[in-house]
Amino acid sequence: MKYILWTGAMAVALSGAAAPALAHHSLQSEYDINQSITLKGTVTKVDWVNPHVYVYLDVKDDKGAVTKWAVTTLPPGNLRRGGLTRDLLGYGETVSILAFRARDGANLAFLRTITFADGHKLEIWLGDASKENP
Amino acid sequence: MARAMSSLVAAMAIAALCASPALAQRRTADGHPDLSGVWAGREEAVKALAPGQSTRILFPVRTNPDDKRIFDEMDRAAKERQAAEPNKPPYKPELAGKVQLLSDKRQFNDPAFYCKPLGVPRLGPPSQIVQTPGLVVLLYQGRNTFRTIPTDGRAHNADADWTWNGDSVGRWEDDTLVIDTAKLVEDSWLGADGWFHSNKMHVVERLSRKGDALTWAATVEDPVVFTKAWEMTPRNLKLNPNPKALLEEDPPCLEQDGPHIVTDDHH
Repeated sequence: MKYILWTGAMAVALSGAAAPALAHHSLQSEYDINQSITLKGTVTKVDWVNPHVYVYLDVKDDKGAVTKWAVTTLPPGNLRRGGLTRDLLGYGETVSILAFRARDGANLAFLRTITFADGHKLEIWLGDASKENP
Repeated sequence: MARAMSSLVAAMAIAALCASPALAQRRTADGHPDLSGVWAGREEAVKALAPGQSTRILFPVRTNPDDKRIFDEMDRAAKERQAAEPNKPPYKPELAGKVQLLSDKRQFNDPAFYCKPLGVPRLGPPSQIVQTPGLVVLLYQGRNTFRTIPTDGRAHNADADWTWNGDSVGRWEDDTLVIDTAKLVEDSWLGADGWFHSNKMHVVERLSRKGDALTWAATVEDPVVFTKAWEMTPRNLKLNPNPKALLEEDPPCLEQDGPHIVTDDHH
């Protein structure tokens, strides 16, 4: 698995913009880290926009009823520097997404991992890899 | 004798250093320092992953990726940085409450959060400079922003309307490009910490180049809200060493989170 870690200094140095990356709103104010959810469905749209990229998903239940979900992640600049492009986010494909739900109960969540039908995974997350357990 | 020799050696070393390409001052035909170049990005172009390739991208937060406090940690670290910021704008004492209120509610008030332009001077230094005789063009990758700075001696445009980046004129003071900007709309902020301003704000930026380093400094005057001029913390940039480096288009800004924010937590 290719592994990319952005240090704070690198992120600021490479952004070329006045505001540091992810200078947008607090994730804590919108998403609940204690409410993880796994969504299995078809990606119907990818919004490659600032300040956050959005992936839209149709999720079918056992009876075939479709629920629409929106899953958001880092800004497009961060994804781009990590080697991602919009067409790698699964438009038209069936995927499984691990994410954290919005506090207001909307069908909205903050992405952690997308797993594709062939088994490959994109993890787009936060943290300091040096502090992970080996 | 030994002292004379060591002085000579030191002088030769300094002369050699000054003659090195890294420190030599590049100049344009009219004798001014050449500020042209890409002052952002990295030397090698971004490589896209192959289809089907797994990857992991971590946005830097100083905690374990599996820490349940990871969202909190982002806010805490940002607040710590802000509290430690030694260079805050000199607001009039009677405005301290307004600044604090705006700061506390920044999630709902900061224009930049809602895709408005950053505006001068929050834009900071440019990502690229294109210098021609009589005109300097400043390009900012963030939000695909441009500014045109006439350096032909003209005065401010008396008919200019108030805008986010204002009306700018430039002049050379020795080897420094001085950009004077007025008519800035009061809608922008100077930073995310509730730093508002009036439409009487006047900004003077200074750009200077030493070798492959560019320094941007700015003085902000606003007699309506400040007790004195505010010297912003200078920013230093390094020239992109790749002569073929190009800025990339910034995707559009479409804010969709505001209606889902349910607490006052903020960075």
